[in-house]
Amino acid sequence: CLRPLGGAFGARAGAAAWVGSAPLAALQLGGPLGSALSTRFGARPVAMVGGFLSGLGLFLGAFATHMTHLYLSVGLLAGLGWALVFTPSLGTVGRYFPAQRALATGLAVSGASVSGLALGPLVPLLLDTYGWRGALLLLAAISFNLVAAGALLRPLPVPNESPGPPRDRPGLVRLLRHGPFLRYALTFVLVDAGYYVPFVHGAARAHEVGCDEHRAGLVMAAMAAVDGGGRIAAGWLAGQPATPLLRHLFAWVLLTGLVLLLLPLGTSFGGLLALALAYGFCAGALVPLQFAGVAEVVGTGQLVHAIGLMQMFESFGSLLGAPFAGWLRDMTGNYTISFLAAGAFLLAGSLLILTLPGFFHTSQGSGGKEGSPAPAPDGPETPPTPPI
Amino acid sequence: KMFFVKNFFTLLGVSGTSMEKNITLDSAARIELSCRLDNKYSHLKSLQVTWKRGNETLRHINKTENSWSIQLRILDNSKLGSYSCTLRGEEEISAMFHLQVPKIEGKEKPIVSYEGDTAVMICKSFGYIPIAWTWYMTNGSEQVAINDSLLADKYVINRISANVTNLKILKLTKEDDGIYWCEAAFELGRSKGKLKLKVLSLMVPLKPFLAIVAEVVVLVTIVFLYEMYSKKKEKCA
Repeated sequence: CLRPLGGAFGARAGAAAWVGSAPLAALQLGGPLGSALSTRFGARPVAMVGGFLSGLGLFLGAFATHMTHLYLSVGLLAGLGWALVFTPSLGTVGRYFPAQRALATGLAVSGASVSGLALGPLVPLLLDTYGWRGALLLLAAISFNLVAAGALLRPLPVPNESPGPPRDRPGLVRLLRHGPFLRYALTFVLVDAGYYVPFVHGAARAHEVGCDEHRAGLVMAAMAAVDGGGRIAAGWLAGQPATPLLRHLFAWVLLTGLVLLLLPLGTSFGGLLALALAYGFCAGALVPLQFAGVAEVVGTGQLVHAIGLMQMFESFGSLLGAPFAGWLRDMTGNYTISFLAAGAFLLAGSLLILTLPGFFHTSQGSGGKEGSPAPAPDGPETPPTPPI
Repeated sequence: KMFFVKNFFTLLGVSGTSMEKNITLDSAARIELSCRLDNKYSHLKSLQVTWKRGNETLRHINKTENSWSIQLRILDNSKLGSYSCTLRGEEEISAMFHLQVPKIEGKEKPIVSYEGDTAVMICKSFGYIPIAWTWYMTNGSEQVAINDSLLADKYVINRISANVTNLKILKLTKEDDGIYWCEAAFELGRSKGKLKLKVLSLMVPLKPFLAIVAEVVVLVTIVFLYEMYSKKKEKCA
């Protein structure tokens, strides 16, 4: 029987992905590589190799004698490792659980929130006990658990799977000409441009409205905590047969955008906390749906490639989004315009979802018929790491 | 020499509570300390207020209707300390002023570093600019000043800004482990901050590292063994 992958795997992936935000870029940019390799060699070996590389990157970082060593090892190598883990794993989860794709994806990506919360106190503890070298060494060991998690990605024949084009390159090229896919990818470029802003700038905003260190940390932790809940809840909700998944996605993206627009209204600790909780929940909710949604747009055959490609596109949004918000803040003196802009990005993204073919026509159930592609897990797999 | 005149009061009010005030001085100053009486006591007559420094009673008290003050010229370290005013009536109410040099903060948590690495220790003075900084290391129970010109390839002392000093220790060894002090010299005295340096060998984190890696190997083995076992079962069935 198929083993539930959610818990163990999700938690492991999250543990690795939490460490460092620079590797996030490598993770997203390396998406297509992860898809291509796993289509060619299978999800399991690629994920295991990825797990090994990410551990290796952190391990080498422990011996760095220069900043550039760290960027190359922790940033590049570990990030590459995570790219090789992420895409195949989420693709596999999507393919193996066609009937409960959204819920399965939600559980899988919620692992990131769990480890995010665990690493919050763990990383400072490691730094205090072992210094940064020792901390990197132990985080490398924790990352190696991805190899064990990857081993669980048993290659299984999936019944009723629509055969997509087997060749890698034609597959990728085809996707680039696929109108709906491009619109979907663009949606998430826009989403990513706004999504990370509260996570990256949240603590600074808390200080701006007068919260001290302790309270700012509380706001951020609360946001990360409900994020996990949102992921599972939305995954479960979308699995309830009623509305097509893309409508759920639209709703959550819209809601997230609206909450973002309301964020500047949080000018006290209580107000900011409440809005942060709302934002965290909504932001978490759209993660599994983003991935499950790829299947609705491109079909199972193209799923893994689509995930990888979408991630690569997304990276432009995520790389530019938070710095842009920071720039707006510097120009205007506070974060109000930054959050409004971020919300606008999300709303624009939600409008694009309306143009997708699956939106107005009801698709055949939520499952593996009609060649629903494996959900491509892609996009914001982890909330931004808490400041280390 | 520049003299600054400063005024500090404390209200003598509720009996039983001890009232204390810390006054930070980094350079020579003229200070007036006053103890003022709360309105509820203004009806009392023949109140005796004494100013003391330690056991020594001070004279030359300026008295107004309900306040008693002393004027001090703080020119050097010997004049710093704790000054108290005591009201003797039915109950004894007193207040204390602590005149001190600015405090220097070291670091609560130890700085962890590894053999062969470079450690950087930073000391800051908040608000006041020291005349000079000196670093000490502890040798047994003694504090030994660090001479960075003598041991230039081991210690580097930098004054990054007026308030901040840096001690860099190169090529760490186990012997460098211990407590360090950064001392700021002010016109009126010196003030120290404490820092702790821990030098570890890479073996220390290596043990938990290997334990976790062993755990990974075990897990992977279990996964593959289980898979082979279940495949065999399928074949037999």
